[in-house]
Amino acid sequence: MPLHAHDIVIIGGGLAGLRAAIAAHDAGRDVAILSKVHPLRSHSVAAQGGINAALGNAPGGEHDRWQDHAFDTVKGSDYLADQDAVEILCSEAPAAVFELEHMGTVFSRLEDGRIAQRPFGGAGFPRTCYAADRTGHNLLHTLYQQLAARGVRVYEEFFVTSLATDDGRCTGCVALDIATGELHGFAAGAILLATGGYGRLYARSTNAVINTGDGAALAYGAGALLEDMEFVQFHPTTLYGTNILISEGARGEGGILVNSRGERFMRDYAAKAMELAPRDIVARAIQTEIDAGRGFDGGYVLLDLTHLGSDKINERLPGIRQIAMDFAGVDPIEKTIPVQPGQHYSMGGVATDNDGRTSLPGLYAAGECACVSVHGANRLGGNSLLETVVFGRRTGEAMSRSASVRVHPCPSLDAQLVTERARVDRLLARTGGSRVAPIRQELQAAMFRDFGIFREERQMRRGLDTLAGLREESRSVGLSSRETRYNFGLVAALELQAMTMIAEPVALGALAREESRGSHSRTDFPARDDVRFLRHTMARLVNNKTMLDQKPVTITHYPVKERTY
Amino acid sequence: MRLKVRRENGDCTAAHSVRCSEGLSPFSPPRYDTFELSPPPGATVLSLLFEARDRFDDSLAFRYSCRGAVCGSCAMLINKVPRLACRTQVDALLGGQKDVSLKPYPAIEDGESWNPVEEVLVEPLPHLPVQKDLAVDMTKFYRFLQAVQPVLRPAAGAVEREYRMEPSAVRELERYTNCILCGACYGACPVCGENPEYLGPAALAQLYRFHIDPREARGPAPLSAEENRTFAHPSRLALADQANGWWACRFYTNCHTVCPKGVPPNLAIGHARQELESRSPHPRPLPEGEGRGEGGPTSAGT
Repeated sequence: MPLHAHDIVIIGGGLAGLRAAIAAHDAGRDVAILSKVHPLRSHSVAAQGGINAALGNAPGGEHDRWQDHAFDTVKGSDYLADQDAVEILCSEAPAAVFELEHMGTVFSRLEDGRIAQRPFGGAGFPRTCYAADRTGHNLLHTLYQQLAARGVRVYEEFFVTSLATDDGRCTGCVALDIATGELHGFAAGAILLATGGYGRLYARSTNAVINTGDGAALAYGAGALLEDMEFVQFHPTTLYGTNILISEGARGEGGILVNSRGERFMRDYAAKAMELAPRDIVARAIQTEIDAGRGFDGGYVLLDLTHLGSDKINERLPGIRQIAMDFAGVDPIEKTIPVQPGQHYSMGGVATDNDGRTSLPGLYAAGECACVSVHGANRLGGNSLLETVVFGRRTGEAMSRSASVRVHPCPSLDAQLVTERARVDRLLARTGGSRVAPIRQELQAAMFRDFGIFREERQMRRGLDTLAGLREESRSVGLSSRETRYNFGLVAALELQAMTMIAEPVALGALAREESRGSHSRTDFPARDDVRFLRHTMARLVNNKTMLDQKPVTITHYPVKERTY
Repeated sequence: MRLKVRRENGDCTAAHSVRCSEGLSPFSPPRYDTFELSPPPGATVLSLLFEARDRFDDSLAFRYSCRGAVCGSCAMLINKVPRLACRTQVDALLGGQKDVSLKPYPAIEDGESWNPVEEVLVEPLPHLPVQKDLAVDMTKFYRFLQAVQPVLRPAAGAVEREYRMEPSAVRELERYTNCILCGACYGACPVCGENPEYLGPAALAQLYRFHIDPREARGPAPLSAEENRTFAHPSRLALADQANGWWACRFYTNCHTVCPKGVPPNLAIGHARQELESRSPHPRPLPEGEGRGEGGPTSAGT
């Protein structure tokens, strides 16, 4: 079984992973990226609306300051974000955006040539810089260009199956080369998880099919802490039928929401902010309308852009128009778009400090798979792209600074390779057994039903029973092919085992949090409870069981207040 | 309906030491497998492939990620047209709607037939080696891309904030930055099939994208010594001023026709050739025996 060694191994080739790799390479480190897809196929590519930075460019936004951005982010998080981390995020945002621009990103412009900024949900000023509605695509291609120019080694289509640890330090990992079916061992001075979120735990997800929470599962399995896993964002506007994202930019540009009675119902939920209230509030409003019978058959409402006119739609929202036409047969210049809330973002993830360090020495995390926490109980639109580049760079630099980051022996790697080979061979040998796809579908349906937009104790307890059964069943799945090369069914089986593993901390975190805060909305505990729950939920795997604990929230300059829009 | 998929095991003896114990042997000829499926309304070709894999055959190999026509993973030949599986609606294919019309070339003319009312035919993207089934080796595609040095080299003298750019310049650039590098154009270009060393539409469009970027360094030697080592040519266009570059295109425009993002490589190539010719009107290194194509650069429009 082939062995490799690098100073730094980065798992995941999206924005966070690429930015960290560039930082580590520029610091003179030998760095390699392992990704289960080619980096350009990472989910970052699908981000649409933009990236926040208090540049003060847009008319009406001249007085924007990074402190305003931080306040909006903290309030948007329902005060669960760690304020020191938010201050880093927002104060470093302008430099991060300028850097991306200098690297080659073609941002949309104002008439005077400066970067254009659009209003976004929960933001006090037009602060979201964008490249039409293809911001993630433009950023990912830019960073990939920079990476390729530096000649950083990328192991494409390598699926990491487990981490290796020695004396309480993460020292390497084992990865399946999907092309050949071989397992490779990687020894590393430091390992970064940059694998994205766990959105595909849920039915009705905007996320790419590949977003199965692999990084969180790897960390959890190796004993690292997960944080705030119960906070799952539901985006208000996903396309009815496929749940492909319809950017918040559509509302930022003036789109409105109407129910089946033709009412602009957001005035009943957020009279001031209307459609540009934060996502948790708009998503709940839509779901409430649907549940009250004021939606359309099948469960959706309408997003109306027709009044924006073809020029604005073609210039600012061309991707949205194309998606609506390709996947719903609707041209938004002429007709309304059917939308419903869908899972969109994982606020929770691998617990890290402000430099990406996890609770396991040698192991780092950045981007959506991490929980710093800058998003708390609800992420503001435009802050996820920002987090990937700010904390990707910081983490890459921190790893490079660490004196212990040298390739050093990884004694456990050989044993780990043998263990993982046996695990994969067992899967390949089992041609009977349950099929992967029905278990995955049942898991996704259960998570959406029992741990979805609205949550309640009895329902969640039923859901936990379902999850326990599915986790058991996922251990004995069988494949219909024993082929080793490009066996994507094998990858799907490994992903399923990861998904059932991290579904538990999501579910138990939701059950234990007896309050409503941000995206976590308990019908049996409708109020926020700062006395008991102005705390992060920390999950650790002990003897194969999830143990929960709490951690205080860091408050610096933004006192905890009631949250209204 | 039936999904008819070309199965092939590619060359699994090269590059890796592989256990090819199961399934197709590396030397067995390609075959076509047919899956009986009942897709719901709104199904895409990608969703058919998932159903076939999940229900019948885990070894069916195809790439996927976003399922929303933005990641570029799933370009393949569907009913003899290179396109994204995730964006291709099954109903539209079976409904007999007039399909995309391409200038013919061997990879789409030859081979397996299918019944367009009941079947969808799926084959790997042409002009790239098959690794397995619908997964093709994109190494060459990326190598040609890197050959055009696709990274911004901004003018010397760093600005503190952003470079100012005219909105009209941004609009012109966006036509090319919209490329998702799916490779559909590469599989649709007849020249790529004939000339395996042709850089191809995607790489040339990317090269042109950097050429017209107003932030690019202009004029004499604004680059540092290290940058001069990295970038062989001061002029972007010169990078492809060769028989396998700009001058190989014959303006079939299949590239633009199949592009899921509407990128027009043919326009980029036409503009580049005009610019090079106006700069230095000496004869260009056309591929042997070739004319300037059907009407040359001036007819490169859409």
